[in-house]
Amino acid sequence: MSEGNDHDSASRDDTPALGTRGGPAPWERAVEDSGVALAKPAWGDAGWSYIFGADTSYAGTEPQPGEVAAANRAMRSGAMPESVQGPVMHAPVWTWEVPLYFWLGGIASGAAFAALAADIAGDVESAALARKVALGAVLPAPVLLIADLGRPARFLNMLRIFKPRSPMNMGAWCLAAFSSAGAGAVAADLLGARRTGRRLGVAQALLGSYLGSYTGVLLATTAVPLWARSRVFLGPIFVATATATGAAATRLTLAAAGQPEDHPTHVALARLEAGAILAELTLSTVNERRLGRAGEVLSRGTPRRLFRAAKGLVGVGLVLPLVARGRSRRPAQNVASVLYLAGGLAFRFAWVEAGKASARDDEAVALMARGRLTADERLRAHTERRVLSEDRPPLAVGGPAKTLRAWSATVGRASLLIERLVTRGR
Amino acid sequence: MTGTNAAPTELAIHRGGARRMGFFTDTSVCIGCKACEVACKQWNDLPADGSQFKKGGSYDHTGDLSASTWRHVRFVELLEPSPPLQQEAISALPAIPPAGELPDLVAMAEGVGSKWLFMSDVCKHCTNAGCLDACPTGALIRTEHQTVVLQADVCNGCGYCVPACPFGVVDRDPIDGRAGKCTLCYDRLEDGLEPACAKACPTDSIQFGPYEELVAQAERRVAELHGRGIDGAYLYGAADEPEHELAGGLGAFFLLTEPPERYGLPAEAESPIQENLLAATAAAVGAGLLAAAGAALSFTIARRRGR
Repeated sequence: MSEGNDHDSASRDDTPALGTRGGPAPWERAVEDSGVALAKPAWGDAGWSYIFGADTSYAGTEPQPGEVAAANRAMRSGAMPESVQGPVMHAPVWTWEVPLYFWLGGIASGAAFAALAADIAGDVESAALARKVALGAVLPAPVLLIADLGRPARFLNMLRIFKPRSPMNMGAWCLAAFSSAGAGAVAADLLGARRTGRRLGVAQALLGSYLGSYTGVLLATTAVPLWARSRVFLGPIFVATATATGAAATRLTLAAAGQPEDHPTHVALARLEAGAILAELTLSTVNERRLGRAGEVLSRGTPRRLFRAAKGLVGVGLVLPLVARGRSRRPAQNVASVLYLAGGLAFRFAWVEAGKASARDDEAVALMARGRLTADERLRAHTERRVLSEDRPPLAVGGPAKTLRAWSATVGRASLLIERLVTRGR
Repeated sequence: MTGTNAAPTELAIHRGGARRMGFFTDTSVCIGCKACEVACKQWNDLPADGSQFKKGGSYDHTGDLSASTWRHVRFVELLEPSPPLQQEAISALPAIPPAGELPDLVAMAEGVGSKWLFMSDVCKHCTNAGCLDACPTGALIRTEHQTVVLQADVCNGCGYCVPACPFGVVDRDPIDGRAGKCTLCYDRLEDGLEPACAKACPTDSIQFGPYEELVAQAERRVAELHGRGIDGAYLYGAADEPEHELAGGLGAFFLLTEPPERYGLPAEAESPIQENLLAATAAAVGAGLLAAAGAALSFTIARRRGR
């Protein structure tokens, strides 16, 4: 970073003219309710008319009906210029914490599935252990998510509102609920309250079906060509990775706890992880085939290396237990589980890195906008019903609205308070 | 947003009688002076971008919109004409003048069909705004002027709005940590002042006013330019048929004379959340439930065989 480039330099002076960084500027009007000098009501000073009035030749011609709409359509759907002068969109700013969180959240939801399945099959001990795996995997998740924020001290604001439209908001609520259910289930298991543990385990598995998949939705609901055009594949692919890594982590834990190799739970988990990895490879392959131009970023640079590493790792993991015979079977199965976990991690990093590369691919972004990106583009419904972005009617003064309002205000204030405490002395 | 009547759980500010306000940026009269960039930075207390030449010798120092650049004059340097135009121009090139006499480079460049376009880019204040749909904290809200504003005291810098904007407007500041973008000078509007960039624009390329009035003015301008033989003039983001609207219609729209990609703009745009959320969620949650069921099935089969 060179001298004078304040855009990136750490030496940039970002002291605001009024107030403190991040806080509202504490200013007051000299005279209450007074206006600004020379300002006219209804922005009367804004008259474009001072150069371009109705009496000037600037805009003196009345358009023919439909003339402008036709001109717009012609220029926006005509030939696309050979070179796109980008950047068209901004690449995601997320760093390593996010794919690592995807991986851990996936393991947690996969382990929750395994716990539910073990409970249904009647293996209470394995279920309890699987719930511990789920809790252990999900515990570092909030730390990673907070570390990735631009303003980590304001993490509480994630729960300031309940917004079904935002996958990240729903994910934050789901993570909170999943962790609570998981902690409750483990506590119940330890206290010997088996039925409570089982019930919480069912809730956790249901929440896990969102926790393990919403991350795919989160990526698919962006303008990044690779992610957006994989929208119905990303969720299922992420669930498959989650199931495989979760089952692998659970099976390794059970093996460490001394469960025999021919135990039905062991066999079931081994099949589950292999099946999930096969599903993930199948879905990925089908998706890559149909991605067309959007998939070009997968064959270049870091994303290419990561995807190849991921596929290589899980591929070896699939073959190893099949070729192992006799005494080497057990270690082969364990090595396979470790390979699935490593491959799953590589897949998470690969998807995030490929998205960044895709956003920087100006031509792909432009082609997506023109509906000419993927092979099956014409399958997409073009005119879907759209809703105005967040213009809800005002809340009533009393009743539940009052509680909601108080909640938001409290969370917002608490966030600023935490930030003040954390950044004090800096 | 202290001092406004924004309800904390709301994602919109409501005020009776308020009209939609917007920008009409007419690139046909932009001279690339960057007064809007400077005025925006001064009013909004934004740091400078440094002064390096970027992108292979372009005069465009700033490069693109960012968390600290809310107006950006994009320089579209069309210095390479199409091959037929080039052929035509080469045959019409003036003879190389004798030594000592300087050739008129401007005239020569014009002769080869070069174009140098300027476009003052800004947040589009979409009707269907991707950033507003994505924001998990409610920091991004819709104001009574139907603009999209980021509440700096709420934003925690999650970065989700950044790839959710199909126009590459909002960004997260690497130092400050929060996202930042044009507010259409919400604070100035509250005091009856027009936005700083529109106020500073010396050619009135940036025009501010009630949305309907702006669209009517812009349509007359397009007709005027068509009448003068500039057939390529069109509006980007306004006066479209409903099925061709960009993100439901742009609160800040543009008059352009080249295809949108020349200016780094997508030919179509929609809130990615509104476009993909239902399909993606249905597939994802469906797969999640299927995986849980698959796990249960695998265990039941293993148990039965084990007995």
